[in-house]
Amino acid sequence: MNMHAQPQSTPAETALIDAFGERLSHLPGDGEVALKRDQSVEALKRGLPTRRIETWHYTDLRRLLTAVPEFDATLAGKPAAPLIEGSPVLALLNGVAARPVAIEGVDVERISEKLGDGTYAPALGPQGADDAIGALNSAFVADGWLLNIADGTVLDKPIELQNVQAGGQVHARLAAKVGAGVTATIVERQTGSGDALVSCVDNVVVGDGSHVTWVIVQEQPESATHLGQFNAWIGKDAKLTLFFMNAGGRLVRQEIRVAAKGEGSDFQLRGVNLLSGDTHTDVTMVLDHEVPHTGSREIVRNVVTGKAKGVFQGRINVHQYAQKTDAKMACNTLLLSDDGEFSTKPELEIFADDVQCGHGATVTEIDHGHLFYLMARGVSEKSARGLLVKAFLAEVIEELEDEQLVEALEAKLDRWFATHG
Amino acid sequence: MLEIKNLHARIVEDGTEIIRGLNLTVNAGEVAAIMGPNGSGKSTLSYILAGKEDYDVTEGDILYNGESILEMDPAERAAAGIFLAFQYPMEIPGVATMEFLKVAMNEQRKARGEEPLKVPELLKRVKAASATLQMDMGMLKRPLNVGFSGGEKKRAEILQMKLLEPKLCVMDETDSGLDIDALKVVADGVNSLRAPDRAIVVITHYQRLLEYIVPDAVHVLYKGQVIKSGDKSLALELEANGYAGVIGEAA
Amino acid sequence: MPAVQDTIDRVRKIDVDQYKYGFETTIESEKAPKGLSEEIIRFISAKKNEPDWMLEWRLEAYRRWLTLEEPTWARVEHPKIDFQDVHYYAAPKTQSGPTSLDEVDPELLRTYEKLGIPLKEQEILAGVRKQEEPSELNGELASDNIYQSGRVAVDAVFDSVSVVTTFKAELAKAGVIFCSISEAIREHPDLVRKYLASVVPISDNFYATLNSAVFTDGSFVFVPKGVRCPMELSTYFRINEKGTGQFERTLIIAEEGAYVSYLEGCTAPQRDENQLHAAVVELIALDDAEIKYSTVQNWYPGDADGKGGIYNFVTKRGDCRGDRSKISWTQVETGSAITWKYPSCILRGDDSQGEFYSIAVSNGYQQIDSGTKMIHLGKNTKSRIISKGIAAGFSQNTYRGQVSAHRKATNARNFTNCDSLLIGDQCGAHTVPYMEAKNATAQFEHEATTSKISEDQKFYVMQRGIPEEEAIALIVNGFVKDVIQELPMEFAVEAQKLINISLEGSVG
Repeated sequence: MNMHAQPQSTPAETALIDAFGERLSHLPGDGEVALKRDQSVEALKRGLPTRRIETWHYTDLRRLLTAVPEFDATLAGKPAAPLIEGSPVLALLNGVAARPVAIEGVDVERISEKLGDGTYAPALGPQGADDAIGALNSAFVADGWLLNIADGTVLDKPIELQNVQAGGQVHARLAAKVGAGVTATIVERQTGSGDALVSCVDNVVVGDGSHVTWVIVQEQPESATHLGQFNAWIGKDAKLTLFFMNAGGRLVRQEIRVAAKGEGSDFQLRGVNLLSGDTHTDVTMVLDHEVPHTGSREIVRNVVTGKAKGVFQGRINVHQYAQKTDAKMACNTLLLSDDGEFSTKPELEIFADDVQCGHGATVTEIDHGHLFYLMARGVSEKSARGLLVKAFLAEVIEELEDEQLVEALEAKLDRWFATHG
Repeated sequence: MLEIKNLHARIVEDGTEIIRGLNLTVNAGEVAAIMGPNGSGKSTLSYILAGKEDYDVTEGDILYNGESILEMDPAERAAAGIFLAFQYPMEIPGVATMEFLKVAMNEQRKARGEEPLKVPELLKRVKAASATLQMDMGMLKRPLNVGFSGGEKKRAEILQMKLLEPKLCVMDETDSGLDIDALKVVADGVNSLRAPDRAIVVITHYQRLLEYIVPDAVHVLYKGQVIKSGDKSLALELEANGYAGVIGEAA
Repeated sequence: MPAVQDTIDRVRKIDVDQYKYGFETTIESEKAPKGLSEEIIRFISAKKNEPDWMLEWRLEAYRRWLTLEEPTWARVEHPKIDFQDVHYYAAPKTQSGPTSLDEVDPELLRTYEKLGIPLKEQEILAGVRKQEEPSELNGELASDNIYQSGRVAVDAVFDSVSVVTTFKAELAKAGVIFCSISEAIREHPDLVRKYLASVVPISDNFYATLNSAVFTDGSFVFVPKGVRCPMELSTYFRINEKGTGQFERTLIIAEEGAYVSYLEGCTAPQRDENQLHAAVVELIALDDAEIKYSTVQNWYPGDADGKGGIYNFVTKRGDCRGDRSKISWTQVETGSAITWKYPSCILRGDDSQGEFYSIAVSNGYQQIDSGTKMIHLGKNTKSRIISKGIAAGFSQNTYRGQVSAHRKATNARNFTNCDSLLIGDQCGAHTVPYMEAKNATAQFEHEATTSKISEDQKFYVMQRGIPEEEAIALIVNGFVKDVIQELPMEFAVEAQKLINISLEGSVG
């Protein structure tokens, strides 16, 4: 949070502090949890981060978070149809967990119950002075899902976690403890119908030798604020693929914090930002290579239309003993409107000498040569542009191995283009 | 000139033993071919001769002109006259080929206590050697091996070999990636270096190169050992019958 | 891995004290008392016989500086600087400003000779380099010191004053003004008032504001319309006195269609204390003008334990004010305990171009946080950034750069390449680029890599008979080639040698 004393609280800051006073008696949790909530709200009292905080350089939360809606327990979200037919769905409806479904090899727990069982406090509280999302979520979190996936489990269908808001404030957690030798795909849907303030913190531990694919599809309405944080720890010889699609929200920040903890681990990030309207979307990743022989690849593709502003910050930290790290990051942006903006900050922080690290970033228009080629074959300019933009994004989506998933995400892409393209 | 005695060597990183009791003698004035199937240890042998740090010699010795070279680093071995023509020559960005040749020639001269070559003399030698290899001088202004085609890289290796005038030339799969015309140019370059005081070790998988560089001796390497030695007819036999026969014989 | 241990051991044994410019000149000097106050500023201004407007300007800067805080965003660490423990003015007693060569203290002339910078024009003229026979080899040059070989006009700044400027008369014939900034304030007040602080505003940042208040000397260059400056211009900065800071100010103006190439060199004695150097450099290029600014920064870096060395906090900015103007920065940074420096280009004129070529070498306990800003404001503006960082020993080496295209910067183009090389596992290399596009026709391309010298490359080079240290130097020289070739020829050779010296003993 902001270390500088703020002269005066903004209306949003005041509203958050007031809301905590009102919500306190309704929030679940044991004494330790209550203590963590207090610490978190103290952090909030120091003020929301401004652009002077380096990790919030392009997203001045204090300025951008203009209003905070009130909690409204009378609103109820409706579950959505799953992305892939037949997936087991665990829904949170306006912040409250619906009835769980049974999934073989997976023990499903409710976060509202975990908060009270005397074990959950260590998972709460901001991680560092600039962790506004962690602080906000820890202060207010009331429910969510925890998946305990047993060693050796191989899921044949993705598990779908839905966080569906109907308005007001929603602060949820989605967590997974993945044992060793597991193969699993988790789909996380962030969607709804209201102008809510949503925070959602994910904590994912990937056990040794497991292969986990986690897909975040964020499609909030253009009036909602979405603050997400995905934390993951990857074990020995394990592989985590994180895919995200941002296709909605007025003010969106998705943080990704991943630590490669085990030798031989691999992290793959693939993401697309579909930005339109007068919105602000920020994806900020911090990846720590902590041990030798780990690899990572990140590819983020952005399309900016309307007056949308987009941000990608990606920092790769290679620790001193993390020799033989192989890390590459790329961020490519197509600016399609004169009023759109995109800012990129790909950072490398390297303390080990025997490494291969690199990043690339481009901001471009559509390739005129390609456009000309298609038009010379009789394709209209509009269709040609559409084809090229879609191809630019689809390249990233198609890297996912699950064909059903690729189809479902490409369908989302088509729908977005139908309304915004 | 070269005498390898009961050589055992393993990869430093994982301890895998690649050379397992290898014996080989190559005399001055001789062209020796080393043949063998993939994975037999041919390239490893060339790296160990040149002193690559990735390998540990655990037993045996390599004598060059009667003296062990195991304690010498790669630059010292090169200055003593051992040259390795690489299968995959490294690209060195930003270092012009000409500049590299100058530094290499003069460092070797320095190590032997000779005066450095003056620029005009150096240029004269480089021009003459490039001409015989049908190399364009313009190429020498480009960074070493960067953006060179496979054939250009191999020619550049032979050019270096000609200019450095080594006593023991080790050629690691020099024929790989060459078309027939380039192969002839390279072979002519090697043949022109044949001399009574020089030995040439040609490492190859196929017999094709040996039609152009006719060997005095052929050695078959398998599982890190020389399992059979003979004259050039051995290469033809391998071409006709494959390695299986020889391996079976040895086993 | 044994190789790593070996490297650590060698790095421990580094002798950073290979700095060959570490001697001190014994010369009686006049100093202002330590500390900073309005009184001191009045003292400096009076010493320089400045007009009132200049004093007022300084005092305004000082008052603003009092309200500012030291920046903390750079990746450098140092104990808090006591700004009251510095002499803000020190000058050889015999010399309070530039004079004719005959009047310069012989001790000073000897100092510059020792640094390899002759100040006697006759000698320089006599020493004009003969054309060597043409050579096809790179780096095959007759002399490795531009000052002794070529025709270069030099402004020599010793602590707080410019002691002499050579070739002034000859330059004046071409209409070029080259003198110390103190002289320019007195002799060319209209030009100075028009352009000073027009690129770096008085209160731009903490150190620039401090500089505005207390700057003591520096160079002034004015190249009038249509003139191609007939020789390279150069300023050589030397810090000599103990406990002093050097705060120089350089202002270069190239009018319509003018061209100038300017070189900057710097050294300081070897001392246990940290000395502060806070310079401001402003470049202004009008329509079709071109300014090429090269720096070889070799301030004392501190000893093997990180004791002593210069704190180099510098604000350098060029304004491509005119259409089709071009500003090019080339820097070789090997010295200083801490370097904090971002030579930037404001691409205001349509079709203007900015370039930044940098080599930053850090060893021992040096810390470098350097890079550039390319601010695209005009149409069809282009920029190019090539940065090569080499970190060894216990040093931290950061590239920090910003490229932005504003709404009206139609067709802005940028290409950025930053590569880092790590030698040893106790150092750090960091890349922090900021890219901001607000125009749909902008095209930005950025690539960065970090790696070490590949063992296979080293083996290949050694197999040709080149010993390890030379093999590494050869590969490093190849790594920095793209930037070295942007330097004036003779400077390039000196720079290459400097890089090799800076890295000596760091490789294992």
